[in-house]
Amino acid sequence: MPKRPSVLHGIVKFCRKKPLGAIGFGLVILLFLLTIGAPTGKVGAPSLPDRPFGFEMSQSFMARYDGEDKFYDPDGGLKILSAPDADHWFGTDSAGRDIWARTVVGARRSLFVGIWALIVATVIGTTIGVVSGYFSGIADTSTQRVMDALQAFPPLIALILIVSINPFASGDKTSLMTTAVILGLVGITAVQRVIRSVVLSTREQQYVEAGRVIGATDFRIMTRYILPNIMASIIIIFSTGIGVVILAEAALSFIVPEKVPGGISWGNMLSESYTRLGEKPYPGLFSAAAIATAVLAFNLCGDALRDVLDPRLRSQ
Amino acid sequence: MQAYIIRRCLLNLIVIWIVATMVFGALRLDSDNIVSKMRGQCAAGGSTPQQLKECDQIARAALGLDASIPEQYTDFIFNLVQGDLGNSAIGNKDPITSEIKERALVSIELGLLQLAFGLIIALPIGIISAIRQDTWIDYILRAFSILLLGIPVFVLAIVVILLTSQYASSGPLAPWLTPSATYTDFVDPFGWTSNESDPVHNMQNMLAPAIIGGLGSAAIIMRFLRSQMLEVLRQDYVRTAWAKGLRERVIITRHALKNALIPVLTIVGIILGTLVAGNVLLESIYGLPGVGQYVVFKIAQTPDYPAVQGVVIVVAVTLVFINLLIDISYAWLDPRIRYS
Repeated sequence: MPKRPSVLHGIVKFCRKKPLGAIGFGLVILLFLLTIGAPTGKVGAPSLPDRPFGFEMSQSFMARYDGEDKFYDPDGGLKILSAPDADHWFGTDSAGRDIWARTVVGARRSLFVGIWALIVATVIGTTIGVVSGYFSGIADTSTQRVMDALQAFPPLIALILIVSINPFASGDKTSLMTTAVILGLVGITAVQRVIRSVVLSTREQQYVEAGRVIGATDFRIMTRYILPNIMASIIIIFSTGIGVVILAEAALSFIVPEKVPGGISWGNMLSESYTRLGEKPYPGLFSAAAIATAVLAFNLCGDALRDVLDPRLRSQ
Repeated sequence: MQAYIIRRCLLNLIVIWIVATMVFGALRLDSDNIVSKMRGQCAAGGSTPQQLKECDQIARAALGLDASIPEQYTDFIFNLVQGDLGNSAIGNKDPITSEIKERALVSIELGLLQLAFGLIIALPIGIISAIRQDTWIDYILRAFSILLLGIPVFVLAIVVILLTSQYASSGPLAPWLTPSATYTDFVDPFGWTSNESDPVHNMQNMLAPAIIGGLGSAAIIMRFLRSQMLEVLRQDYVRTAWAKGLRERVIITRHALKNALIPVLTIVGIILGTLVAGNVLLESIYGLPGVGQYVVFKIAQTPDYPAVQGVVIVVAVTLVFINLLIDISYAWLDPRIRYS
């Protein structure tokens, strides 16, 4: 009996065949690991009103912030806009806060928004796409015309508009979860379009016909026959989509920072740096690098997954 | 073909009607919320219930909410068909159609420049990368394109501005790299919006965002073009062309490139779509008075709903018809595509 190839062997093979994809996966895993250790509390110089980064967390890799004196000059002043050094890997910003710590916490927010938005978008988009593609005819046509209309809305303008009018919240500010849901809702049209096109071809497969012959209901065919077979497309959409959403969230908190939930985000850091042109650009540069890295990582992942999972592109 | 175009146009009209109805409905669904957000603009001021009620009434009148719903709807559609998008709800109550028209010129200029730069960068790189597949030059060019794909355009623009403000804030290059909002005001090249015309100054405003936007588009076009060229270069008719003894230049440009460009059109269409939508981010960052900056401005202050609604409808109409043009041009470029 041939030995079953080990998981490790598979990973090594994948890395050799798709080096760029492997880099992408590595970066994504790194992003997730970073957010596990990210502090929830307050970090920063104790004299700052909000102590943006606390010293109370226990994770070893953040322990270097234990020394509160690291936020002060020898003569007692707050270290403002200092260049990257051993104490502050990315330097400090205009309020003396550690940029590395803020970048890490920003990653948590980006991933949170990205994942929840994609859950909303894929669940609703897939449902619409499968139903619309499966039952062709008048239902399909009318759904698709409405989707065409929705797709004609410029996405970024739609986002800014929904976030500012904010129909989901009673207060003046949207919560982070609401932002994620809004981003997801805007993405539904794109998801359902791809899913529908896949379903249109899956529907014609013989095993679907066989299911119909043995008397399976439409619901059973959609959930048990079609859904498992379009899983590859869903996974690809999910991973590529996260990059798009992270970018959209950053763009949103750059362009209308007062309308999105407060707190530390890459977009906010970028916009802060941009409104203080002429100061040292560290906060902006590092948050820009973080956004670019995250988007690149999820793009590479999506590309590699597409190559591996999509039978039409599987290399001979 | 004619039947196809007519059918598509009718279908597009339906789509536009759905868009208009949605836009109409969205305001009515949440009108109390929007009206209450406009209280800050109220001249009467005050916070007694009586004064607030008056303010809300003024806001409702400005938004056109003071008639019955069917009446509002017929008015809205009737005006829309005539190209009248109503008046802004805030400030001088300017007519929105002319506001958008004025700004569209800036957006169109930026969009066309961006597309031009995108193509200038992407075409040679895509072609070279395909005909020298798997050589070091292909690897370098592909790495370049992947890097560009990863760096979002607006992030790139901000990084360029941050670095400029740090290291090149004075000197001969400064006016070319600094956004017009912080440097000088925008001037159009041929006196479209004012009596001034100053092409050089206009280029100082436009060149940096156009090149940066172009780089972003180039990354996408380049990847498509490369994979498409690779496919076309393996076709029988290209082998025949080689066998006939044609020169490489002729084979690449006449036989391969022409066929490889068809899918690239889709992306060109998407970029053209931003012509009128305005490149929201680039325009805001560089302070260019285009449609994108207009709409952000209109949303970011007290939401000026009629203005936003006007922009959304104009953009939707443009997008829908650009898509139609792209579909038609497929058939024109590739005679094998037949619409029936």
